[in-house]
Amino acid sequence: MFKIKFWRKWSRILHRDIGYFFIGTSIIYGISGIALNHLSDWNPNYSVTLKSFTTNLNLQNTSSVKNNILLLLDDVDRKENYKQHYYKNQNTLKVFLKGGSSLMVDINSGHGEVEYLKRRPVFYESNYLHYNPNRIWTWFSDAFAAALILFAITSLFMVKGKKGIKGRGGIYTALGIIIPILFLIMYM
Amino acid sequence: MKKLSIILVLILAFLACKNEEKKVEESTETTEIVTEIPMLAIADFDTKAGDFVSKEIKIKGIVDHVCKHGGKKLLLVTDEAQVHVVSDERFDEALIGSEIDVKGVVLEEVIDEAYCLKMEEDNIKSHSEGQSNDDQFEAKKQHIQEYRDYMKANNTDHISNYSLQYVSHSELE
Repeated sequence: MFKIKFWRKWSRILHRDIGYFFIGTSIIYGISGIALNHLSDWNPNYSVTLKSFTTNLNLQNTSSVKNNILLLLDDVDRKENYKQHYYKNQNTLKVFLKGGSSLMVDINSGHGEVEYLKRRPVFYESNYLHYNPNRIWTWFSDAFAAALILFAITSLFMVKGKKGIKGRGGIYTALGIIIPILFLIMYM
Repeated sequence: MKKLSIILVLILAFLACKNEEKKVEESTETTEIVTEIPMLAIADFDTKAGDFVSKEIKIKGIVDHVCKHGGKKLLLVTDEAQVHVVSDERFDEALIGSEIDVKGVVLEEVIDEAYCLKMEEDNIKSHSEGQSNDDQFEAKKQHIQEYRDYMKANNTDHISNYSLQYVSHSELE
């Protein structure tokens, strides 16, 4: 009896206090988890806006083309944002802008399109952390992963009675285990 | 006070040992063999990479894009050609549009009929599981067909595809 009380008490303490500590991290991984699950459907880091334009500037591959590229940028963006350019093929010039935006233009027809990228606030930062930017974050995220295991174990002992593991909690626990097993049987 | 003195003595002894080790390291002469890593122009990469398989080379180009899925591939371009660079770590997306020098090891991928069949199988599987959309599925299908057409046209049973395993890079002004 003493042992059960002891484990229940410490399960609640650990689940509660470590849970508080990792609230922020849980939200970060939750947001980026959903965002990165749908990579085929959207760009989770940037919102993309496309804008078409037409230019009369001579953008043929010559040594002085950079001046005309800067003039073009003054029309469609800002020349200070110029980063680099190259010719994708004989007809197409690609210009990179600071911040990830870029434009492509058909140098014969003058028709082009700018792709403006704008960082998605919260998502960009969450995804950055989700991808383990460095060693220190790897350790921290390992600690978070260990805490998730601890939360799972402590949740088994936290509540007694019909809402605990011997009642409703047990049904939920079984369902949570059966679903991934069923998925593995069906799709693996 | 007595305890504090003992701790101080121990710290000083430790530091003394560390300095001693450093002196020993400094006095040991090492002979480092510096080998020049060849620089290949991206335009020559496809024709010359075969001579450097599993060897280190350097190439210079503009980062056209970083793979948005894993972030571990980037496309290095010039006006003439392009080279894929792969890495074990993610590339920083801020590199897009920068001119960089990349040091890496040349990788050879042999594409033959068995490879095409495997690609087809993977393409169907990822599409049926919703990991790729219709456009991506069709693009991959067309890509596989292009490999087959190329082998047939050139009367060969394989294509060697070269890429670079990333080692390091430096950004150019």
